[in-house]
Amino acid sequence: MAAESGVFTFAPAIAVLPFVSFLVALFAGKYMPKKGAVAGIAATAGSLLLSLVMLAQVASGHAHHMELYTWVGGEGVPFELTFGILLDQLSTLMLVIVSTIAFLVHVFSLGYMNDEGETGLPRYYAELGLFSASMLAFVFSDNVLMAFMFFELVGLCSYLLIGFWFRRPGPASAAKKAFLVTRFGDYFFLIGVVGIFATFGTGTFGGPGVEESFPELAEAAIAGGASVNTFFGLSPRAWFGVLGLLVLGGVMGKSAQFPFHTWLPDAMEGPTPVSALIHAATMVAAGVYLVARMYGFYALLPTVLAVIAFVGGFTALFAATMGVVKDEIKQVLAYSTISQYGYIMLALGGGGYVAGVFHLTTHAVFKALLFLGAGSVIIAMHHNENMWDMGGLKDRMPVTYYAFLSGSLALAGIVPFSGFWSKDEVLYETLVHGLGGSPLLLAAYAMGLLAVFFTGFYTFRMVLLTFHGEPRTDLAEDPEPVRWNVKIPLAILGVLAAVIGVINLVPVHALESSVPEFLHDWLYHGPEGLNGEHYHELITSPEFAGYSAGAIPGLGELGTLFASAGLSLAVALAGSAVALALYRAPAPEEHTAKLGSLKTLLYENYYQDEYQVWLAQDLTEETVAKNAKRFDDGVVDGFVDRVSDVSLVSGHFLRRVQTGIVSNYAALITLGLVVLLVAFGIVGGWFGGVFA
Amino acid sequence: MMIEALVGLCLVGALVVFFAPDEYAGKLAFGWSLLPLALSALMYLNFDGRGNALLGGSLAFEEQFTWIALGPYELTWFMGLDGISMPLVVLSTLLTTLAILSAWTPIDERRNQFYGLVLFLEGSLIGVFGALDFFVWFVFWEAVLIPMYFLVGIWGGARRKYAAIKFFVYTNIASLVLFIGFFGLVFGLGDSISSLALPEIATALRAGELGPLAGGLIVPEQLRLLAFVAMFIGFGVKVPIVPFHTWLPDAHVEAPTPISVLLAGVLLKMGTYALLRFNFTMLPETARSLAVPIAAVAVISVIYGALLALGQSDLKRIVAYSSVSSMGYVILGLVAYTSYGIGGATFQMVSHGLISGLMFACVGVIYNVTHTREVGDMAGLADEMPLTVGALVAGAFAYAGLPLMAGFAAEFFIFVGAFQSTVIAGNGMAVMTALAMFGIVIVAGYLLWAMQRSLFGPFRFDGDYEVTRAARHDIAPLVVLIVVIIALGTFPNDTFFRMITDAVGPLVDGATAEAALGTGGGSP
Repeated sequence: MAAESGVFTFAPAIAVLPFVSFLVALFAGKYMPKKGAVAGIAATAGSLLLSLVMLAQVASGHAHHMELYTWVGGEGVPFELTFGILLDQLSTLMLVIVSTIAFLVHVFSLGYMNDEGETGLPRYYAELGLFSASMLAFVFSDNVLMAFMFFELVGLCSYLLIGFWFRRPGPASAAKKAFLVTRFGDYFFLIGVVGIFATFGTGTFGGPGVEESFPELAEAAIAGGASVNTFFGLSPRAWFGVLGLLVLGGVMGKSAQFPFHTWLPDAMEGPTPVSALIHAATMVAAGVYLVARMYGFYALLPTVLAVIAFVGGFTALFAATMGVVKDEIKQVLAYSTISQYGYIMLALGGGGYVAGVFHLTTHAVFKALLFLGAGSVIIAMHHNENMWDMGGLKDRMPVTYYAFLSGSLALAGIVPFSGFWSKDEVLYETLVHGLGGSPLLLAAYAMGLLAVFFTGFYTFRMVLLTFHGEPRTDLAEDPEPVRWNVKIPLAILGVLAAVIGVINLVPVHALESSVPEFLHDWLYHGPEGLNGEHYHELITSPEFAGYSAGAIPGLGELGTLFASAGLSLAVALAGSAVALALYRAPAPEEHTAKLGSLKTLLYENYYQDEYQVWLAQDLTEETVAKNAKRFDDGVVDGFVDRVSDVSLVSGHFLRRVQTGIVSNYAALITLGLVVLLVAFGIVGGWFGGVFA
Repeated sequence: MMIEALVGLCLVGALVVFFAPDEYAGKLAFGWSLLPLALSALMYLNFDGRGNALLGGSLAFEEQFTWIALGPYELTWFMGLDGISMPLVVLSTLLTTLAILSAWTPIDERRNQFYGLVLFLEGSLIGVFGALDFFVWFVFWEAVLIPMYFLVGIWGGARRKYAAIKFFVYTNIASLVLFIGFFGLVFGLGDSISSLALPEIATALRAGELGPLAGGLIVPEQLRLLAFVAMFIGFGVKVPIVPFHTWLPDAHVEAPTPISVLLAGVLLKMGTYALLRFNFTMLPETARSLAVPIAAVAVISVIYGALLALGQSDLKRIVAYSSVSSMGYVILGLVAYTSYGIGGATFQMVSHGLISGLMFACVGVIYNVTHTREVGDMAGLADEMPLTVGALVAGAFAYAGLPLMAGFAAEFFIFVGAFQSTVIAGNGMAVMTALAMFGIVIVAGYLLWAMQRSLFGPFRFDGDYEVTRAARHDIAPLVVLIVVIIALGTFPNDTFFRMITDAVGPLVDGATAEAALGTGGGSP
């Protein structure tokens, strides 16, 4: 026992190491070789190593919870606010994912930033270090307040990194937008956090040795076994639903779910390695990870789950349709990120906890790969991102091509690449729970399934335009070569994207039960109250979510599983095939004109940006704020000025002051004070005279 | 004699600097101001007070002796600190030192007088936070106005006269109103008090000893209400609360930046500090009965102040109006009557003092170089003044409530404390809190907007001055403030919050009458 906790005492270092690299890069980066990159690489490598050690510890049956320090506590406060570390199956898995991606992004940055002669590199690596540290700390947070705090720091770091090239107007504006849109979501999240503390007196997620956690208290309260402070006379279930939706505001902001998705495509203004980190493992992942982290709470609330599923399904479809017309490679990937996080939300809302975590894992790998691959292309193209200027890069940069292809096949969901297994499980879980009696889930499933078509289409349109056909520009004819620091991360991720699906081969397991579902078993063996089995009980219990599993009539459970997998694969292939048919030519055409007015709608992103800019700028800033200013200057202050003008005394006073010499004012003030003192004396005497 | 020594040091220093040669005044004042700073740090480390100063707590650095006998009253020299006032004293000494340092560059005439007045201001501020006798307190309260008036009126901008006189008239009328309100209570208490010591008055009022006034024309209930409203308005002008806030932007814009630092950093806290000591400690029942309008004033101050800040294009005005917004949170926390609420409000006084001080100092450094504060006159300053801009970004995020900085801690305490408060029936405070919290979105909006336009993008400057990097002594205060802000946000308990909650304990819901009026003081 002592030996285990001995290892766990190093757990804080997972976040502290990148934090140290932040400090080192910030203060000493300019004196260092590679301007701080080395510190960052060493730190994230250390984090990765430690995360793996923690994962192994947890695998050997030792989930761990530790208190770090008390932020606020002691006598006189009704409840303590603490920092602590929760290492269980979910968090160690995520720690490994985050530190892996962070490490690879640091290495890749050598090629993307250092080799390109960027200035401001110490700042870049400092921010990257802080970003990694914040995200890792967010992941191992043991309570919702600590999670919120690091959630916000993740937001700060994305602001700083998206705006890294602050000399250009685009990044500065995009950074602001990213922070503001997510801040708007976090407004609701913060109310939720405050509400959770006011309701339960604790924000702890649970874990070994934790006496009170809010998901358990909520469970007991709904079951009638505990009483908590509910608000506004609502029943526990209804009030918890409100809290769940409030927290969901933050989730939707960070995970770029409709209607908070607008910041994400703009965030492409940041350096591409940063995009990889934001999209695969940090900022955007933070939102859905939070849902998974407090799944014991959400699994109690069928209405909130339905909202999550519906928002997810809708976002998956909505974003995928916008992805089909984009011209810039990173824009396509941006919309695909939004869409893919929609799938994760769909899974979590549809009762597929394991499926959601699975897709989070595979997506982290293949999306990091695709962004780094795009980064490699962008280096080669001298920072031209327009796919219509590319073409034919396949033979000129084979490592990038094959890695990118592996990621694309995973993204499109083509068997046997990783994305197929996870996306299939997402859709399957939603489908069976929908068939079990939830038309809403079925609708969400239908949107998710339709989105698969568009995903296949935009993915292969992107691959074909970038890598196939004839080079369309001189640059594409003779691209700049990339070095090992770009190729090695791509190669590692390329292999992972192909094979990582083996961690949860659900359909294979159904046929041949000796093939294990590693991830399923892994998550089902979490600590009490934090494991998949417990969540499954909550999801299926009529007292809580009340989901039940159904099957397609006449097919049975197994038949439904394969029908679902076959259907989603067929749809993905259909989408890919359409892309191949349209864009495989040596000199492909745009084809977007065929869409007619729909094309404009898609190019303009359904005018989502317009109305949000209108809300923030035209309405709030130009109308409300300017009128408030006018009102304040004219009416509130004007009233004061007018009173002082018409008042004889003060008018006289003002005139005297304005004409006088400063020393006169001293006399005036002193006089005023003396008068008050004398008045006090007289009053005191008078008072004594009356009552003495 | 520690508080007396502190005040004395400042006043003697003021005198010395006032008559020192002009060219050495800045350095002398800075060096001298380190003495009260060091002394207050020493006091902070040796702080041994428990409980609330007005409700029977044991005081730190207590000093009490009869000073003057006037009518039926003894005027006592009564000084002492508890967990509420101690942090504010440290805030005053720290910000004064930093303000002096940040004045080296912009103040270039009559320096000895300027720094002398600043030290005089410091002494008066410490007196306000240390005094526990009304008479002594009021003398210091009024004494603050004198240096402030001159500092704005002499060293200020183009409309300095207008701003100074507006400040002076506003706060003096406010003083009159609160004075009347307070004395209504004193008269109403009649024989039940024998001095103007604030603890005695608070105890008597809380024990319900208030009698009728004007021969029974005003019954105690009405008297309480009238006095509460008078004092609320009187102190509220200083805070400032909407609609008594319009002196603030004028005073800030015209004041030289180091004075803005002190004005926003410490002077505004006099108002909320007095509200806490007088209104919310002495008349808790009245405060509760007025919870709806008070909370509404708080919400309006937060949202309306933030919208006004959004409507400005002068960097200093933006920060000035945002103070209105931030101080609204303090009112919300106070009226909650929970330990997180009032404790958070007190923490916010310190936190906002540091953060607004940082923001004003940054804007001042930019102004020293560019001689403009208009957002539209400059762009892309980040390249030219990286350290200043870095500090400004840090300050803006601190203002916007970034976790692990002091502002988030304070605001989160207030939100949690106010949300669970029961002073308004039917969880009304939860609604008020949720409304006020929208301020965190607007504040991010106007600060990021201003930064994007003035700090980022391609460099452009419409002015005749050469934009150069700031001097070290301009940057040093910024760095110190950032470090303190992060320390407070990361370790709120070990810095101030523990002593604050201890002092707030007897005030809040659930505190027993014995604890409230007890002799042992503090939490059990």
